Amino acid sequence: MKLQNYTLRYLAITLLLVIPIWAGIFYVLILDEVYDNIDDDLKNSKIIIVRHAFADRKLLNSPEFGINKFTIKPLPKGNYKNKDEFFSTKEFMEYDNDDEPIRILKAVFKDEKGNPYELIIKASTVEEDDLLEDLFLALIGLYIMLVISILVVNHLLLKKIWKSFHVILDNLKEIKLGTGSRLKAIHSPIDEFNILAKEVEKMLNRNESIYSSQKQFIENASHELQTPLAISINKLELFAENSVLPEDQMIEIGKITDTLNRLTRLNKSLLMLSKIENQQFPEEENINFNELISLLAEDYSDLADFKKVKISITENDSLHFKINKGLAIALISNLLKNALIHNHHEGFVNFIINNKEIIISNSGNNSPLNSDVIFNRFYRHTTTNESTGLGLSIVRSITNNYSLSVEYTFNGNHQFKINFPKK
Amino acid sequence: MKVLIIEDEAGLREVVQQSLEKEKYIIEIAHDYISGFDKLGSYDYDCILIDIMLPNGSGLDLLQEIKRQKKQSTVIIISAKDAVDDKVKGLNLGADDYISKPFHLSELHARIKSAMRRNNHNGDNSIVWKNITLSPEQRTVFIDKKELILNRKEFDLLYYFIINPNRLINKTAIAEYVWGDHTDQADNLDFVYSQIKNLRKKLKDSYAEIDIQAVYGIGYKMN
Repeated sequence: MKLQNYTLRYLAITLLLVIPIWAGIFYVLILDEVYDNIDDDLKNSKIIIVRHAFADRKLLNSPEFGINKFTIKPLPKGNYKNKDEFFSTKEFMEYDNDDEPIRILKAVFKDEKGNPYELIIKASTVEEDDLLEDLFLALIGLYIMLVISILVVNHLLLKKIWKSFHVILDNLKEIKLGTGSRLKAIHSPIDEFNILAKEVEKMLNRNESIYSSQKQFIENASHELQTPLAISINKLELFAENSVLPEDQMIEIGKITDTLNRLTRLNKSLLMLSKIENQQFPEEENINFNELISLLAEDYSDLADFKKVKISITENDSLHFKINKGLAIALISNLLKNALIHNHHEGFVNFIINNKEIIISNSGNNSPLNSDVIFNRFYRHTTTNESTGLGLSIVRSITNNYSLSVEYTFNGNHQFKINFPKK
Repeated sequence: MKVLIIEDEAGLREVVQQSLEKEKYIIEIAHDYISGFDKLGSYDYDCILIDIMLPNGSGLDLLQEIKRQKKQSTVIIISAKDAVDDKVKGLNLGADDYISKPFHLSELHARIKSAMRRNNHNGDNSIVWKNITLSPEQRTVFIDKKELILNRKEFDLLYYFIINPNRLINKTAIAEYVWGDHTDQADNLDFVYSQIKNLRKKLKDSYAEIDIQAVYGIGYKMN
């Protein structure tokens, strides 16, 4: 869920709870204030009426409301509490043709002779149910408006604010170490985003420099190893050529030479890997993989014949792809070599060329390989002999460089599939 | 034949010198750019081996100097960098071949002889070994004037042996020469044995006076 929808959801739920609570409190307070006001008004009326009654004794006998909003009735003599009583009731109003709420003040006062009178004053008051209804409608309106305005603000403002953040996200997605990829600059009014962008850039630069110095190290180390290797191999060759040695000693020298040759291959593979990753194979041409595969199958036929492995090619389509020629050869020949080496006597290797994929399957060991690790450097399925453990990682590096993908599956036979991008 | 080796690594210089001396070449050595430059100015050589990375200069500059002086020498570049750039640059500057470290001595000999032969435009270029006459251009083999038909790999094998007589040839060197770099990582080179067995049989059947011996554990020797 996107951040803005996420916050909106929580805000909407919170508002749904907060607004009724607020409304309840507001209702009680308003009503209290309204009654307070009306009661004050009634008390004030009482003072004015009593004063008038003292001046005009006719008023002392007004038992009906009539057009007045009060009645005064004499009371039998007795002891009455001199206290104002308020209560609410309903009265029929012609205008509305309905019972409407009114507020009543009931009080007792005495004239100068000490006769008690009862005074009742009425005043129209607020209709609570109408008030509630109005308030309820107003609150629904308020809620909808709040949610809409949050939505709009979220959408417009947050979108604007988070724009920089999305640029940072895109930058992070694009980062590929070793390609010297640059980050797009952001111009955000938000400090946090600026700091984030700056830190990401610092981190990238740091990683980039570590990465390139490591690559440089591998490359330099491999280069520096070439000369000592050359000297060792050549000295041994010359020694074996010049000396008359017993067979067992010659075999030992042969083993040392083989080991040095293996070291040479390892070194060359490492160099090749680092060159692929440094993208030092810039020349590209349109390679016909059908031709390439049959050419390589021919090159390997001696090795295959020796193991009595049959190489077959099924061409369902012709496959062309723009790639460096050397890398195309390395890609196919590493897979083919692998398929031949990890095969059994009288096995098979089968190429299937489809429109956008090459499938190479081979007979071999009956247990599947661990597809999570086979493309790792120096991973060896068997502890055999001459393999450098770099063949498949070279394959992976090449496919990565050209946005191809390679996957391994086992269905009784070992199968590698190279997927070419669909244009 | 006079050969100049311009190489800064003493160990490599020494071993190459010793190996080339067995061919009865006259060897001169230079250990850096300046001494290399001096030697180039003072003498003519049939073949010059130049390392690209030299103290106080680049082998490629020396190559340019050789071409500027219009010397007829065959030039072979030796480099620790297997970089295509260097290779292309070197060949464009007029080098006859390029070999990257580490190499097998038999390969170096083959490169020198092939390059020398290519540079020798006058006369017959065929190689004669006892009763075998091998013509690299036409890719034909005659034994006592009778043609022996070989396939591409058998021809390459025979050529490699004849160009490296009396030398102990490592089986990896043979495999790399005949089958190319594809033999990298091949788990064993047993298929080389079977190919050589076929070649031997063909040679024997046509009475070639050649003796290819297996040196157990290392490779082969022809004498």
